[in-house]
Amino acid sequence: MKQSNNWYLELLFGVRDMLPMSVAAATYGLAFGLLATQSGFNIFQTISMSALVFGGSSQLVAIEQLSIGLGAASAILAGGALNMRILLVTATMRNVLAVRPWWQVGLGTFFATDASVALMQSAKPRNMTTSYWYFFGGGASLYVIWIAVTAIGALVSSGVPNPQAIGLDFAIIAIFVATLPGMWRGKKDVLPWLLASGIVLIWGTLFPEYASWGLIGGALIGAICAGLNNEN
Amino acid sequence: MKIEIWMTIIGLGGASFAIRLSGYLLASQIPQDGMWARALQALPGCLIVSLVSLMMLNGTMLEWISAVMVLVLAAISRKPTLAMFAGMVIIAALRFAIG
Repeated sequence: MKQSNNWYLELLFGVRDMLPMSVAAATYGLAFGLLATQSGFNIFQTISMSALVFGGSSQLVAIEQLSIGLGAASAILAGGALNMRILLVTATMRNVLAVRPWWQVGLGTFFATDASVALMQSAKPRNMTTSYWYFFGGGASLYVIWIAVTAIGALVSSGVPNPQAIGLDFAIIAIFVATLPGMWRGKKDVLPWLLASGIVLIWGTLFPEYASWGLIGGALIGAICAGLNNEN
Repeated sequence: MKIEIWMTIIGLGGASFAIRLSGYLLASQIPQDGMWARALQALPGCLIVSLVSLMMLNGTMLEWISAVMVLVLAAISRKPTLAMFAGMVIIAALRFAIG
């Protein structure tokens, strides 16, 4: 565990390094706010969902299930299935959360998203890969922005310009693609990455309705392949 | 509908937090070295690769071209933010030019 007296500086670096991901996630949050309103959610319900679930794709799937009349159980199941990948996200944060009091573990895991994994790439040059406050700052700032843009989306409803025309819808893909070179650890990643990507693409093509399970399978099998390789 | 919405919000919120906490609790049982530790070290990269693959699965040709350009730009510049904004400009320009 990294001990530091400058915890607030680490927190601020986390907020700063999360900014590109926050911009990308903001477009998604705006879309959720709009869709939730159109699906019959009031502003309080929309904000509550973002505050409690904090997971873009699972929130979108849950409101879709509700709007076609499949009921709460189906919405929870579908949304939960999409969020299963976050199990792997918090698994990667083991060294960040280790030896922390229970309430810090609770908060740290609550703020974990896909963006937390992308943040690991920015943490490397700062030597903060195990800094709790770095990841807390990043996660908490994304959380605040997520709720704010959700509320804006719900309030402005129809007054938002077409995101496709200005490339906003591509931001979320672009930021994750852009973090890949920083994640690359050399030749030993070739086979695990090819396996992970191949499994997602093949599974997603064969079973498009269950594509998110391909993501979990691909990431896990890729990581196990890397684990089996003893040349480090 | 109102009660269904609140049941979903609270149920999915609880489920999501349980999933988040379980990931850490499971990983904390893994030894600090050996095969599973190496797998855990490789997991962030594999997770982002899988996420990008899933996002690109139904991508258009223009999105694939833009994603490759973002990847190259990020690899050369080592500045993900710059590459992200460049990607947004590239896709907007390609859509405007080609449709």
